[in-house]
Formats: sequence, structure tokens, C-alpha cells
Amino acid sequence: MIRFEDVSFHYPHTQASIEGLSFHIAKGEFVALIGANGAGKSTISRLCNGLLRPSAGRVLLDGEDTSQTPTSRLARKVGFLFQNPDRQICENTVREEIAFSMKAQGWDEQAIAGRVEEILAAFDLAGDWFPFERSRGERQRIALAGALACEPQLLILDEPTTGLDYRECIRIMDYVTALNRDKGVTVLMVSHDMELVQDYARRVLVLEGGKLLGDGDVKRVMKDEALLRSARVLPAQIPALALRLGEGFEDVYTIAEMAGAIQKRRAEASR
Amino acid sequence: MNLLSVMPGDSFLHRLNPVTKLAAAFLYGIGCILCDSIAMEVVFILLMLLISASAGLLPRALALTRRLLVLGLFMFVIQLLFVRTGAPLLSLGGVTLVTTGGLRSALLLSLRVVATMLPLMLFFAVTQMNDLCNALVKRLHLPYRYAFIITTAFRFVPLFSSEFAEIQDAQRARGVDFETKNLVRKVKLVAPLCVPLLVSSLKKVNSSAISAELRGFEMRGRESGYKEYPFGKNDALALALLVLMVALCAALL
Ligand SMILES: Nc1ncnc2c1ncn2[C@@H]1O[C@H](COP(=O)(O)OP(=O)(O)OP(=O)(O)O)[C@@H](O)[C@H]1O
Ligand SMILES: [Mg+2]
Repeated sequence: MIRFEDVSFHYPHTQASIEGLSFHIAKGEFVALIGANGAGKSTISRLCNGLLRPSAGRVLLDGEDTSQTPTSRLARKVGFLFQNPDRQICENTVREEIAFSMKAQGWDEQAIAGRVEEILAAFDLAGDWFPFERSRGERQRIALAGALACEPQLLILDEPTTGLDYRECIRIMDYVTALNRDKGVTVLMVSHDMELVQDYARRVLVLEGGKLLGDGDVKRVMKDEALLRSARVLPAQIPALALRLGEGFEDVYTIAEMAGAIQKRRAEASR
Repeated sequence: MNLLSVMPGDSFLHRLNPVTKLAAAFLYGIGCILCDSIAMEVVFILLMLLISASAGLLPRALALTRRLLVLGLFMFVIQLLFVRTGAPLLSLGGVTLVTTGGLRSALLLSLRVVATMLPLMLFFAVTQMNDLCNALVKRLHLPYRYAFIITTAFRFVPLFSSEFAEIQDAQRARGVDFETKNLVRKVKLVAPLCVPLLVSSLKKVNSSAISAELRGFEMRGRESGYKEYPFGKNDALALALLVLMVALCAALL
């Protein structure tokens, strides 16, 4: 789906912020991008849809060089949720806001109308809300709904759940997961919430100072304390605890698994 | 990148009092407006380039000049076509297109625009807005809140432009194609972006104001700054020279 080939990028008047980065994300994957503040996560996501162009190397989207294609064309394939929803929202009602990208991409009226209602229902939004006076979390949800509306094949989410309450967070992530599972939508998600990453992503890219430190299965990365420490990321609590507890807790990642393992220990001890 | 950002340095120009710099930029501009000779305008532009070279600002000054020349060219063409004094210079099928008076006034005006704007824009390269604000308060006894408004307005310009670029990026990511040659279409595409820009700007201004208030903005007076902004010999020299220049330009009028 998307391939980085030895990509370097630096903002004008700064040192290289991305240096010799290579990775490949296949169709249908659910990948999390983690790293400390300023590690280059947002920069990488912007490289994916051509908002930034690499200064060296190539970014290929379905084999198509992103530096040769305008972002507005790539937008047909790539849905993008910005870190700050207020950048994205520009219409007076939620309904128009959700229709916006479909209109920009030339869908016909009928299809737009149907799709908008579908999305409104799925995200529990009222079509006639004035987006700018909703709460931060609601605006986030509106922005995500807008990004998902035109059925992208690659979904890039820059911190999709910051500022959302737990229930909201779960609802959004479940919707994204369903898209990923049922429609084969590829997801690249930036997040600082390791619990979220562990629960939803299957693969993790670990970033530090614009370089790729690690790339692998989410379970392996979560247990790799040295890797996470060098990326200045705090691991999720349960796997970290499991690691501390050692023997008998190797396969423990969730609260349920932890409870199960402890029960088993207890049973063995009382025998 | 940004043509109005500060270029730190320690030159004669940099070390002048911020108030002097501001006054000097304006005086230079006034001189150029008063001046009525094409040759003199060229001299003023070259002189300004020399002055900026002395402060290590030549690349910036040249970049600015280039931009201003584009603006100048625009005014040149308009003047050329609309000023009808003097003898005909170029006719096409019996219709006089260009006259000598038109050519002269077009050249003068466009060069004057460049010569006048250049010092004002270079002013930003050698002055920290903070310094200007403090100096206005300390030296000119401007109430702090007014000095703050002026300098903040300048500070917010690059902020807005980067904010606007971000918003435009967000719309591009949603499939809006801004790369159209059609001017009407372009305006139609860009106009809706004013909504998020306005909303986020107003929000930002509002929260900045509250945050300033919470940090004791009201208590700030003339004595609050620890840095002094004395006028020195150099300031007197610079101002004297510029007043002389303006006087000369006025006398030659
Ligand atoms: N527009 C810009 N101009 C110059 N430098 C920038 C710009 N945007 C980001 N940077 C720099 O590039 C580096 C990477 O920034 P990036 O936004 O990709 O970080 P991030 O991993 O998304 O951080 P966060 O977790 O805070 O969102 C940072 O050091 C930042 O200062
Ligand atoms: Mg970021």
C-alpha cells in the first residue's frame, strides 16, 4: 500500500528531521506509529499523502510516487485526520462538513446524501450542529467522520483519540477496526496511548529523532523495554508488569490475561 | 524563508535604538516619497542595499527588492497606460498607447514604491518586536497596552500565514485542488478557508488575552522592563543624517 524508500526530509532552516527511513505497509495492515514528542510522527504522516515531499528518497503509494501526484489526487485514496481538528473543519454544519470531501472529489449528489446520513448515524452526530461551538471531543469526532466519509483505502490518523473520553475513544476505534477488518482499509495511526496501540494495532513502528528504531509485531514491541526506553516511550502497564513478574506471565498483555495468570498461580499455590 | 523575520546581528544598524530604527525607516520612506527624480530613487535603492550589506542583510534586501520590483512592475504598467501627458511615444493604428509623460511617471512611481517600502521591510530584519515594544514604552512613554497591541499585530502576521498554510493543507488532504489557473475558481476555493482561520484566530486571540491577564498584564508599567533602551551618539547621527536627507528631498521639490 505504502512504501518509504530511503526517505529523508528536513524542514527549511533545520537539521534533518527524518533521515534515511525505509519501511513498507501492506494493504489491510493496522500499524501504529509511536515515539516521543517531536520524533517526527506527524511529519511521516504528512509525507504519506504528499503534503510534504521527501528531500531524498521516494514515498510510493500503490506504486505511485507521491511527489509526482498532487495531494488532492492522493486524497481519493488517503483519508487523513489532522492532529488538530480545527484545521480541518470549515463548513457551517456537520452535514456539509461531512459532505465536503466527497464534493471535492466529485461524487454525485445522490451518493453523497446517502453516505452522509450513514456516517451521521455511525458517529452519533446531528447534521445541523454548528461544528465550531461543539466541544473539543465532538469536533474531533466530526473531523474523523469527515475523513472517513469518502471511503479511503488508507487511513492516516494523527492522534485520533486525544481529548476523547473512554467511551468515545472505544467507539471510534471500533469503527476504524471494523473498516480495517471488513473493508480491508489500511490504517496508520499515530498515538501516545500505549494501551490503545496494544489493543488495536497489529504492528508498531517505533520512531526516535526521525529514525526508525524498531518495527515489529505489537506484542513483541510492547515487551521490548530496552527499545521503548531508547525511544523515550513508556510501555503499556500490563505488559510491563508481566515482564517484571517473569515466569508464567510471558503471554500476558491484557487485564483479563493478567487476572487469568494470577488465578492460575493462586490455584497452583493452594494445591 | 520568511522575508519579515528577524536576522540577528551586531552591526551598526542592529545596535541602534529600536525607536530610532523605526523613525529612520519612516524618514527614509518619506524622503523617497518626496523625491521627484528617477535617478535619485535609483540611488536611494542602491544606498539602502549598501546599508543592508553593512548589516549582513544583503541577501534579504535583494530578495525583498526582487519582490517589490514585481509590485513595481505592476504599477509601472498601470501608470504607463493611464497617464496621458507629454508627447506620444508609441502608437498603434492611430491610437496613442504610451506617452513620454506616462513613461516618466510610471518609472518614477514604481521605483518610488520599491525605494519607500524597502527600508520599512528591512526594519523587521533588525528589530525584535519585544525590543520595539519596550523601547516605545520606555522612550516614547507610550502606554504599554498600546505598544503591545502594535507589536502583537506584527507578531501575529507570520503566525496567521502559517496557520492559513496548515488549513489549506488540511483541505488539500481532503481532495480540494488549489492548483487552478482560473482566478474566480481559486477565490471560490480559498474563500471558505477564512472561516476556520477566523475561528481559530479569534480563539487564539481570546485565550492569549486571558492568559496575559492571568499573568498580570495590567500591572505592567514603564518601570517593569529591566532592559534600558538609551539613545546614543549613533542614534543622533543616524537621525540627523535622515532628517538632512528628507530636508534635501523637500528642498529639491
Ligand atoms: N513546520 C515546521 N517547520 C519547522 N520544523 C518543524 C515543523 N513541523 C515540525 N517541525 C520539527 O520537526 C520535528 C518533528 O516534528 P513532528 O511534528 O513530526 O513531531 P511529532 O512526532 O508529531 O510530535 P508530537 O508527538 O508532539 O505530535 C520536530 O523537531 C519539530 O520541531
Ligand atoms: Mg504530531
